[in-house]
Amino acid sequence: MIDTLLFVALPYLALFVGIFGSIYRIRTAPLTYSSLSSQFLENKGLMWGSLPWHIGITIILAAHIIAFLFPGLWQSIVSHQQVLYAMESIGLCLSILCLLGLLVLGLRRLTSPKLQAVTTTMDLVIILLLLLQVGLGAAIAVHCKWGSAWCSGTTTPYVWSIITFQPDVSYISEMPLLVKAHIVGAWLFILAIPFSRLIHMFAVPVEYLFRPPQNVVWTNSRKLESQDQAFVKEEARRHFLWAFSGIALGGFLLSVGTFRNVFSFFFGPRLERKVETELMETRLSRLESTVGQRKLELERQASNYILVGKLTDLNASNGKYFIDFSMQPAIAFKGKDEMPLLISAKCTHLGCTVGNKVDDKGRILCPCHVSYFDIVSGEPNAEAPAKAPLPHLGWVIMDEKGSVLARRDSKGKSQGSVSAEQRESARVYIAKNQEETT
Amino acid sequence: MDIRAQVSMVFHLDKCIGCHTCSVACKNVWTDRPGAEYMWWNNVETKPGTGYPTLWENQDHYKGGWKLTGNNNSKKLELKSQNKLDSFIKLFYNPNQPGLEDYYEPWTYKYAELFDSELGTDQPTAIPVSQVTGEPMDIEAGPNWDDDLSGSPIYAENDMNLEGLTDEEREQLFEIERISMMYLPRICNHCANPSCVASCPSGALYKRGEDGIVLINQDVCRGWRACISACPYKKIYYNWKTGKSEKCILCYPKLETGQIPNCFQSCVGRIRYLGVLLYDADRVADAMKVPDHALVESQRSVILDPFDPSIIEGAKKNGISDEFIKAAQLSPVYKYVMTWKIALPLHVEYRTMPMLFYVPPLLPVMGKYENGVYDNPVDEFFTCLEKSRLPIKYLSKLFSAGNETIIESVMKKLMAVRYYKRSIEMSDLDIVTVSRMMREGNTTPQEAEAIYRLTALPTIDERFVIPEIQREEAIENNCNPEICKGSCGLGMNQTPGRGL
Repeated sequence: MIDTLLFVALPYLALFVGIFGSIYRIRTAPLTYSSLSSQFLENKGLMWGSLPWHIGITIILAAHIIAFLFPGLWQSIVSHQQVLYAMESIGLCLSILCLLGLLVLGLRRLTSPKLQAVTTTMDLVIILLLLLQVGLGAAIAVHCKWGSAWCSGTTTPYVWSIITFQPDVSYISEMPLLVKAHIVGAWLFILAIPFSRLIHMFAVPVEYLFRPPQNVVWTNSRKLESQDQAFVKEEARRHFLWAFSGIALGGFLLSVGTFRNVFSFFFGPRLERKVETELMETRLSRLESTVGQRKLELERQASNYILVGKLTDLNASNGKYFIDFSMQPAIAFKGKDEMPLLISAKCTHLGCTVGNKVDDKGRILCPCHVSYFDIVSGEPNAEAPAKAPLPHLGWVIMDEKGSVLARRDSKGKSQGSVSAEQRESARVYIAKNQEETT
Repeated sequence: MDIRAQVSMVFHLDKCIGCHTCSVACKNVWTDRPGAEYMWWNNVETKPGTGYPTLWENQDHYKGGWKLTGNNNSKKLELKSQNKLDSFIKLFYNPNQPGLEDYYEPWTYKYAELFDSELGTDQPTAIPVSQVTGEPMDIEAGPNWDDDLSGSPIYAENDMNLEGLTDEEREQLFEIERISMMYLPRICNHCANPSCVASCPSGALYKRGEDGIVLINQDVCRGWRACISACPYKKIYYNWKTGKSEKCILCYPKLETGQIPNCFQSCVGRIRYLGVLLYDADRVADAMKVPDHALVESQRSVILDPFDPSIIEGAKKNGISDEFIKAAQLSPVYKYVMTWKIALPLHVEYRTMPMLFYVPPLLPVMGKYENGVYDNPVDEFFTCLEKSRLPIKYLSKLFSAGNETIIESVMKKLMAVRYYKRSIEMSDLDIVTVSRMMREGNTTPQEAEAIYRLTALPTIDERFVIPEIQREEAIENNCNPEICKGSCGLGMNQTPGRGL
């Protein structure tokens, strides 16, 4: 119950209020939207507080966001032991840097009378919340080591479950209290953004990188025309930037993917000798089976006849698949004259393999684009996408000793017959060279 | 060619009496608010002196203005205070930003105690309390703390512009009974190449197209403070209460209705002139890429002749109204800066192309106490440049980026005007001396008369030539008048206040 409250209800409240509250405040009260810098009133303390705090927290937050957004990439990075060590120690150092910065920031707020003139209760609450949050983070780094590795199985899926509206507390319900408190702190932090100076983090002036140095604004209607031109130019630029950022993002994702593979190739986990041997064995057996297949094909193409089956096995409604000399599928039926009926199973439309069940109109169906082929004539139905008929194949019937009893060529010309006694032992073949066999 | 109009200014320093009426007129209207008490959008400094904020001219510390980089073929202007990347680190802490201690801590007095204190043996006093903390405080500095303190070893002698003066010159400047000083009233220069605008990470600062006034959009300002160090004149102030920056707005609400800005109107010495200049915006950046000594000339070359028919045509094509062109033709600023060339920009070496010009002071020797007699020898009545009480070198540091020839020619012309008028009014100077002075001053009787008239006897309409601005159009472009009707002035629908 308490878990649901803290890890499902609170996150959604925080995200809703945090996102929409911030948008509302930025749009309706831009005069309150400021960094609220206090450097003017107190200089030295700010340097020792603000710089370590902001630099530390920017890197730590970025790492958290990358770990949550690109769990695969993150894992491929931290799965290398040295990298994991480095990551953890850098994180711990940065969190200590942040804590020191925050302490300085808090102390200067409390000790400088000038600063107290611009300090609200919310400022102190925020400093306290951040101190707790970063302190918890540092404590986790010490007591529940390798957080950057275990997060991918616990907190990351939890965050994703929240984002995708399928909240699943089970990922974190067994976590230590430290971690749970850190997660609650994170949601409280997001909740506090629109109600505090924290909102200034959305004011990061990225557009400064792209804008020209001078900024001229016309209020005179005589300049409306040029203003329109500027607007069009601006729009064009905006679209360009959108396209550019799209491409850049695509490229980034691509490079992330590539990087992950490249990274894990060089620094990824090394296989154990046993597993590696097994892998190589599997690869060898696959190769062997391919070789066997190849041999079979060659053999088949070398022989003059290919066995289709025993004559008695053939069936009028359920065809028997076989592979002809050109390695294409074909189907063998029993015709009305009790003799074999061999027809190509390669659809004349796009080359799918045609089904072997004959429907009540004596047709077989190509399932890909629904062409019905008459097995006797080979013609497709009128609506079918396939236009050409399926060709028939010639056959040869031989007895056990290999003497030819009957044959029919692909044009349908037959000779010989099979008597009732011979039928039991008769086998159907296709011949390599129809002309020769006739 | 991109012709623009600029409402620009001339301050005639010979006429400034240092009364601070301008500063007070400004303060009472614009900066009498919480968080803005320490701001003086208009201030008057004593020179030599350290100024306000203290030593604002020390750009090694504050990093204001532009620097020239690149080789001879492709020179580039770059902000001294930041580049595009390190500006992001400076969001957190800006090492070049002046703090409150560099201005002064504003205070008021507990006047109520004069009335409310209990009966006692001592007379009650009003103790000073800080306007930041509200607590009693010791006053250690104030606005114009070094007012009239020329010769002071802790103020005047630290003036940055004295650098390079010989000991003899310094001695001469600060000699007892001969000590000299001048007043330097300063407002925002509304530069044509403003470094504050270029430094603003949020893009809140802008230059108005039709009159060139530089403003800060309070809705867009995020309090990153880059402009404060980037402005070499330190004319942008951080409001510690609202967390946004503010600056001189050249009383644009008054200007737009054809009224005179407060500091101009209240000026007792009538030292201030306001008028329109036409300039070529395309050439501004290039003009600021020349070596220091050529900057004054280079800036003049950007300013266009409002009587030239091709310029008038180009200006009209560019949307400049007939009223502005007419104002540009009648502009007293154009006369001082371009026709007579006796008004110079302050610290043009910051390369922001300031559009406020100063006529440097002549400071004539009025008399001398010698052998118990106060005498006023006629032949030294206006002194000579060699005996100039403010060294030419010092003035050149202020007004011509170290180019002494420019200052000398201005001084000679100013002196020639005086000789000429003295000879006309008093007839006690011989004609040879006067004509020699006129020749050296490169002036004619007509010009000297015109300078004299605009300097000494101008009417208010001659001093302030303000173009009619279609206020209705300006309002309608910003906001629907029906909606603006309920707003609290200056088009703001919300009262400024500190955020959460």
